[in-house]
Amino acid sequence: MDDAWVLPALPIAGFVVLLLFSPWLPRKGDWLAIGLMGITFLLVLVIGRDVQNAIGDGNFHGVARSWQWSNIPGVLEIRMGTFVDQITLVMLFCVTFVATMVMVYSTSYMHGDRRYGWFYAIVSLFVASMLTLVLADNLLLLYFAWELVGLCSMLLIGYYNDKQSAAEAAKKAFITTRVGDVGLLIGIIILFTQTHTFNIQQILAMAEAGDINSKWLTGAAICMFAGACGKSAQFPLHVWLPDAMEGPTPVSALIHAATMVVAGVYLVARMLPLFEAVDGMPELITVIGLITTLGAAFIGLAQRDIKRVVAYSTLNSLGLMMVALGSGAVGAAMLYLFVHSFFKASLFLASGSVIHATEQQEVDKLGGLWSKMPITAPVFAIGAAAMAGVIPLSGFWAKDEILAGVYHGPVNHAALVLVLISLPVTALYMTRVVLLTFFGEPKDHHVHEHAHESPPLMTVPIAILAGLTLVAGLVIFEGVGKALGFHSGWLGFVYNLGEGPEEFKVVWWLSIYSVVSVGASIAAGAWIWGGAAEPSKRAAAFSPFLYRMFLNRFYIDEVYQLVIDKVVLAAGQAVAWFDRAVVNDSGVNGTGEATNYLAFLAKYQQTGKIPNYALGIVIGVVVIAIVAFGYRT
Amino acid sequence: MHSGYWLMATLFLPLITAAVLVGVPDSRKDIVRYISVTVGAVLFAMSVFIFFAYEVDHGGGYQFFIRYDWLENVAFLGPHGISLALGLDGISAPMVLLTGVVAFGGTLISWKIEHHNKDFFILFWVLVAGVYGTFESLDLFFFFFWYEVAVLPMYLLIAVWGSSSVFETFSRTKEYSAMKLTIMLVSASILIFLGIFAVFKEAGLGTFDLQQLYAYHFDENFQKMAFPLFVIGCGVLAGLWPFHTWSPDGHVSAPTAVSMLHAGVLMKLGAFGIIRLGIQLLPEGATFWMPGLMILATCNVVYGAFAATAQRDFKYMIGYSSVSHMGLVLMGLATMNQIGIDGAVLQMFAHGVMTATFFAMVGSVYDQTHTRDMRQYSGLVHRMPLFVFFFGLAGLASLGLPGLSGFVAEFHIFVGAFRTYPWAGALGIFAAAMTAVYILRMMSMAMFGPVDDKWNDLKEMTYLERGTAVLLLAAMLFMGLWPAPFIDRISETVRVLPGVS
Repeated sequence: MDDAWVLPALPIAGFVVLLLFSPWLPRKGDWLAIGLMGITFLLVLVIGRDVQNAIGDGNFHGVARSWQWSNIPGVLEIRMGTFVDQITLVMLFCVTFVATMVMVYSTSYMHGDRRYGWFYAIVSLFVASMLTLVLADNLLLLYFAWELVGLCSMLLIGYYNDKQSAAEAAKKAFITTRVGDVGLLIGIIILFTQTHTFNIQQILAMAEAGDINSKWLTGAAICMFAGACGKSAQFPLHVWLPDAMEGPTPVSALIHAATMVVAGVYLVARMLPLFEAVDGMPELITVIGLITTLGAAFIGLAQRDIKRVVAYSTLNSLGLMMVALGSGAVGAAMLYLFVHSFFKASLFLASGSVIHATEQQEVDKLGGLWSKMPITAPVFAIGAAAMAGVIPLSGFWAKDEILAGVYHGPVNHAALVLVLISLPVTALYMTRVVLLTFFGEPKDHHVHEHAHESPPLMTVPIAILAGLTLVAGLVIFEGVGKALGFHSGWLGFVYNLGEGPEEFKVVWWLSIYSVVSVGASIAAGAWIWGGAAEPSKRAAAFSPFLYRMFLNRFYIDEVYQLVIDKVVLAAGQAVAWFDRAVVNDSGVNGTGEATNYLAFLAKYQQTGKIPNYALGIVIGVVVIAIVAFGYRT
Repeated sequence: MHSGYWLMATLFLPLITAAVLVGVPDSRKDIVRYISVTVGAVLFAMSVFIFFAYEVDHGGGYQFFIRYDWLENVAFLGPHGISLALGLDGISAPMVLLTGVVAFGGTLISWKIEHHNKDFFILFWVLVAGVYGTFESLDLFFFFFWYEVAVLPMYLLIAVWGSSSVFETFSRTKEYSAMKLTIMLVSASILIFLGIFAVFKEAGLGTFDLQQLYAYHFDENFQKMAFPLFVIGCGVLAGLWPFHTWSPDGHVSAPTAVSMLHAGVLMKLGAFGIIRLGIQLLPEGATFWMPGLMILATCNVVYGAFAATAQRDFKYMIGYSSVSHMGLVLMGLATMNQIGIDGAVLQMFAHGVMTATFFAMVGSVYDQTHTRDMRQYSGLVHRMPLFVFFFGLAGLASLGLPGLSGFVAEFHIFVGAFRTYPWAGALGIFAAAMTAVYILRMMSMAMFGPVDDKWNDLKEMTYLERGTAVLLLAAMLFMGLWPAPFIDRISETVRVLPGVS
């Protein structure tokens, strides 16, 4: 555990080797990247065992280790180091496991791509950055990794660099998340100014003890939450995530399941004691989470692109995790994050398999693929069911814990009602996408005939992920946890060290509501989209206004575009005009011309005619004489 | 051997090279090139050596100190009246390294110059000598002397080897830019000149020796009066708003290597002058006036960032981004606290290597296409992937990506600014985010997307250009990943600066 720095170091080594030498390596070095990732995953398991043993000894406070990076004596010492506790461990597990699966899958999906080596290099760096992010013991290193994650996501979203849309999406992702990052950096600097340290544990301790000026603490908390919103695509900074589909599908899986969007959730979970020390902050987190989760669920109902539907389901999930964190249910949020990484990865990789086989991603052109793709189709269905929260798949248990957490939490019960509304909507759109893609009559026979199952290098990873999706939620039970070698179930293991474990609670009526509403919703979905085309048209025609709103994502992108064009760029134009017309042409050239004009006037002094000079001499003599006599008298 | 000879060597090697080049026949362009690149490499090696040989924990004082008295005990001059005194402290040591890196890069990139390359390199080496001299001088007279030696060759370098451009609404001839640059900088020098003589007269020590003048305590009212002379005089060279317009126009008209030196080291002379003449000489004046400088610096930062978003010419965009980033240097100085000033010096280095990379890259495309209008380009990455890679890395350094030099510097400046002026720090961070907007807009417009058939004949950068890029990039990564050698040197000196909290 002391040597946790090895975890990011391995993929970084892979990145450097691939960046410099990949053209000369056999298979462009993908085996190296995958091998290093696999070793990293195994090392995470070793660390997991160590953490478990350390907790068993009692009195576990996490394991920290750090090195000096730079030092201005007495003023600013910057240390870089690692900190491992249970939350870190969950993140490490998800990241390395999903990354390994995605990398194996990509050997087939990206096969023959002209920048194959670059792909593996950047994915390695991406994973290394995310590992650094979750291991960081101080906010500065966290920011360091945070930005690198943003960079890698930009490079991978813009991977198909001959497409203008990919370049635009990459730019949008980076700039949108960077708006949040401005907040994060300001927050970090405020905290440093107040506490004189970047160390997360020390800052949390000071925040809990009330040693930080509450005004500055509030500012810092809001700023840092803005950073989390950017990375985790929370409203109003969510717009980049659906566009991030422009990248290759394995990258989408990586971004959504493991290496990027959960960073914001992790940050909030990690800094939760600080957020809870601020009045109104849990409410703010909850409200933002609710807006995101509900908005995404409704938008998901109307989207036509299979990857976009899955993307909005990610927004939906992220919002739900934020709601859980707003209620202080760290264990529940982390459980959701844990199972989400499995089912979201299987959803994306399965849809990638569909796209690979059909070269189509519009659900309007798919359909009837169940028989053609005997592995991909069930995997996608399992993922969708888990996302919908069907009992007894993993998604159900996680959602159940979140419901219980919100119910017992300090936040207003209106939040609970809104979460309850979102559950059947989620089930509805997941049913829709499964039915339109895999069932019913094929809408485009040409596509259908050419469809085929993907090769084993793609189907095996997604089958493994689907298997975990089926059972991973069971870790909530103490018996399962003990069978896996832990001393308790999930909630007894994963908690914020300062706060102690949460109780495992079941609120029976919530669980029953969850089961029933999801079941009813799936049945309704089956009726609307499963059979004849008529009901689905009627659903779309039910309220054209709402349909348009959902389809166009509430026009938020358009509003932003307007603001960028009319405010930011217009301001840039105005400043540039001012600089040229006022500062340069009037200020600089004007000074020059004024000097010129004065010289023009002055030149008449020098006429070259002797009488003029003689007159000047006379006037001079007279003036001097008057002055001289004036002094004497 | 006396260690001061190393500084003498950095100062006189370029001058001797210039003199030797005078004797080379005009037609032997190859000899000119080989001599220049060799000297560039030697200077680079010496600069690296000097940087690392500079001892941290030396116990204060100037290192590599050497003095030749020129005029003393005559007329109004006392002992050490005017002397060529050279020495390094923790602020000038990184600047010497920067000069070595950028000057070597400049010689490599200027290999391709055909038009009177002998004369070009003569002026180039005089300029480099001036830059080294300014960073190393510990005598007011010679500080000013070398400062002018560095500035004046710019006129010919731009007016003869530069390029004129026509834009939609206006045009910029190289003669206009060269004239404007020279007149603005020389007018500013008049202020410095006045300041120097005011200081000499007020102290009445009969010497221009900076160390003796530092020890003298000037009357507070005098300090308040004299400080603006230095800050505005040097500030113009540092691109201080609203006296910055010589800079973007100068870049647009200058040839590649001159742009590199201009933005890379010349603008740093201004900021360096503010430290040497302003803060060190007149600390109470500095304390009094710094809030004002903070306001102007914030204007620099925000104004430059917005102006850059509207530019469609590569060099104008980089020029305005320089205005913005030099604003961060001034902001760091204006904090008057240790973290901020450390950050300012770090930013001087970081901005130097980053902008030099930008200009070297733009040059490698411009020389092939003769247009810098980014709307003309699309999908450059398919023709020049290495070019895009290096340009992109410079862009990332510019927008403050951790791991590259820009972040370390900006971070210190922001922390410093938040100590005293939180609003300025917040605006600075905002402007740094704006950097991402204009850099990425440019990248997505010109570098990515479908390739334009017009540019099918574009060739990848030459090996010399690649060498330059690798050299500058190594400097960026060095500071970004391991800033301790810089911070150790700088902070040791900044800690003992007068008036710094």
